[in-house]
Amino acid sequence: MESLNNLMYGFGIALEPMNIVYVFAGVFAGTIIGMLPGLGPISALALMIPITFAMEPSSGLILMAGVYYGAIFGGSSSSILLNAPGVAGTVATSFDGYPMAKQGLAGKALAIAAYASFVGGTISIVFLMLVAPMLSKVAVSFGPAEYFSLMVLGLTAVVSLSDKSLVKGLIAAVIGVMISIMGIDLQTGTERFTFGTAHLLDGIDFLVVALGIFALAEVFYMLLRGGGGKEQPRNAIGSLKLSRSEVREIAPPIARSSVLGFFTGVLPGAGATIGSFLGYSMEKRLAKDGDTFGKGNIKGVAAPEAANNAACTGSFVPLLTLGVPGSGTTAVLLGALLVMGVSPGPAMLVDRPDVFWGVIASMYIGNIFLLVLNLPLIPYIAKILEMPRPLLLALILIFCMVGVYGMSFSVFDLLLLLGFGLVGLGMRLFGFPAAPLILALILGAIMEESMRRALQISGGDWSIFIDKPISMWLLIIAALSLLLPVVKQGMARIRSARA
Amino acid sequence: MTTKLSLKRLTLLALPLAAVAGVTTAASADEWTPTRSIEFIAPANPGGGWDTLVRTTSRVIQQEGLADQNFAAINVPGGGGAVAWAQIARDSGNPHKLFATSPPIILVPLAGTSRHDHTDFTPIARLITDYSIVLVAQDSEYQDLNDLFAAVEENPGLSIGGGSAPGSMDHISIAGLASAAGLNAAEVNYIPFSGGGEAMTSLMGGHVEAVITGAGEASGQLGEGSDVRALGVSAPERMGGVLADIPTYQEQGIDYTFDIWRGVMGAPDMPAEAVSYYEDLFARMLETDGWQDARDQLGWLDAYQNSEEFGEFLDAQKELFSEVLSELGLLGE
Repeated sequence: MESLNNLMYGFGIALEPMNIVYVFAGVFAGTIIGMLPGLGPISALALMIPITFAMEPSSGLILMAGVYYGAIFGGSSSSILLNAPGVAGTVATSFDGYPMAKQGLAGKALAIAAYASFVGGTISIVFLMLVAPMLSKVAVSFGPAEYFSLMVLGLTAVVSLSDKSLVKGLIAAVIGVMISIMGIDLQTGTERFTFGTAHLLDGIDFLVVALGIFALAEVFYMLLRGGGGKEQPRNAIGSLKLSRSEVREIAPPIARSSVLGFFTGVLPGAGATIGSFLGYSMEKRLAKDGDTFGKGNIKGVAAPEAANNAACTGSFVPLLTLGVPGSGTTAVLLGALLVMGVSPGPAMLVDRPDVFWGVIASMYIGNIFLLVLNLPLIPYIAKILEMPRPLLLALILIFCMVGVYGMSFSVFDLLLLLGFGLVGLGMRLFGFPAAPLILALILGAIMEESMRRALQISGGDWSIFIDKPISMWLLIIAALSLLLPVVKQGMARIRSARA
Repeated sequence: MTTKLSLKRLTLLALPLAAVAGVTTAASADEWTPTRSIEFIAPANPGGGWDTLVRTTSRVIQQEGLADQNFAAINVPGGGGAVAWAQIARDSGNPHKLFATSPPIILVPLAGTSRHDHTDFTPIARLITDYSIVLVAQDSEYQDLNDLFAAVEENPGLSIGGGSAPGSMDHISIAGLASAAGLNAAEVNYIPFSGGGEAMTSLMGGHVEAVITGAGEASGQLGEGSDVRALGVSAPERMGGVLADIPTYQEQGIDYTFDIWRGVMGAPDMPAEAVSYYEDLFARMLETDGWQDARDQLGWLDAYQNSEEFGEFLDAQKELFSEVLSELGLLGE
């Protein structure tokens, strides 16, 4: 009841005419930023700090939060249409979104992404509102040992992302981990795989690898295969409408992934990218038709989209209740709030309820705006696919290059992009799945850092991973998720032998 | 060690004087003004300390109409600053290129991962400082720093988290403190986290025993109903605001201070007229209301030094840091 009152108070603030304008401006800008690779939400928010400086803190945060979740919402378009993720959180969306687009179902894929994002966003706002203060305890209960075990659990998804050959999947995953540890090692200051160049001291940006291995490799592949020809008319966008059975099919994955995504977002350092991968691989394992994931399964679009939007909202929990940023993006938000004279933290609920509840209420409004804004745009955005093949390939190429260059203004990164494009092409030609590499790239560095941090705390004693209950349970779940399919297979074999 | 430290305190005391001196000398210097917009580089991604300094100062200079030319904030991330420094070092004599700087300009080269160090660039001005703060959980048994270090002496495995890599700011700060408290600096089991925020969450969750981080960053966590408690700050005198109740290290009998300073440097061999123009510009900026508001909100303290003083200060800092790093065995070749 009390939170209902607070929410009404929040809506009072969020529905002020100027704040409605800010929500709209924020989500609109966010949608566009999300579609363009390179200009991620972090740089967009940093650029906005001077604009928000003179604003009421609640209005400023409403605007900036809108840009953030708007970008995650809009990021799916380029993943689905071009296989080129606009933001890191939407990489997993391309696994099934892009195959759907190739099958002439782009409209449906985009619509599912929009609905899933909307539901994921909305469910997580309800969670944020009801349990945020309690959840700050969950966020701090994750120390190095717990993060390590969570990453181990995440890595078990390699098995389900490996399509046909587990060995090839594992090889790809190992390469992913190796890329993830490039640069200066945080624990010792040692340089690893930097080949003596300062450009590699900070490692390789995730998006350079993702754009290279997915988008650029796709361009190369199409060039090799089709030579720019027109053997396959792809101008079909298809209907946006979902049948009743499709709605029934995606509803449970969206609900599950929303909850999972939210809790992943709450953990500092985890965030939308990991949330979307966990959602995707969970649904792939739960689905009866799991083997069609990666080939255009609608659940494979719905799950990561629900999860990444939910994680984005979840990341506001540590920011608002602890005053601790869980990601680069929320770090910029924290900085902006400090400049506006608000220090987020345990006292904020009492000191500045207008900011806290105003922002939560504005998120409901923002998500509705996003849905209303995005759905009618789908046919226009999807028109990209009607372009002649040579133009489309050139567009993807430009898109990737502008995105990478816009991130770092570094020509070196463009060469890396080209390199990863070739690596991606080779992987495709020889049947190595790309998803495990990307997953390992995301999880590898955090996993390694957490493991060493935990061992440093325990004085080198490995039992820290089992002594901590949360860590122990995560490891047990990880072991089960590896063993169950084997056991299931064995059971089936015994049963068929009996029959 | 003590002589150097008291020197540092002297420079701190001399700050207000220095600020006044900066204004008067610059007014009589040769008139040079920028002829095009100034590239003001943050050698890191958006959102960090350098970026905040660059964007805040650019904004204040613009808003207060202090310069005719535009200050363009540019991010050049990579190598903890090394990528940007390598770029700027090639631009010798360019009077339109500035960058934000802080202890890493000394620490990163000392660790051996940058070919360029502070002597390759032109010091313009030191602007602000923050101090280190030592935090423990609210229900911790340690009541002051001496309790904490007594426990470290008994159990060297006691984990102290910080927001930066080994051999960088937070580590140097706590290692120097331990050394001043009579311990071996290498005895501190320093656990590096990827930011002060992450270190503080780990403290709240009971994963580490204590944390060292920036006082400005921690101030939002302190106060009523907080999960963490401060044992001491590295300032020479009590700080203000919510930090006013926290004793300094010196009050607890440990003769040690540590500055997390930030300032501005320019391209190598910048012409003297340009240097004095910028010195004067930043000195005037510190006097504006716009700056003072932003500074207070960000928890910064003014610590102006002009080009010459800043240059000497950097040399002294390098000596101090090398000493601690060599005690830690972290000095690069």
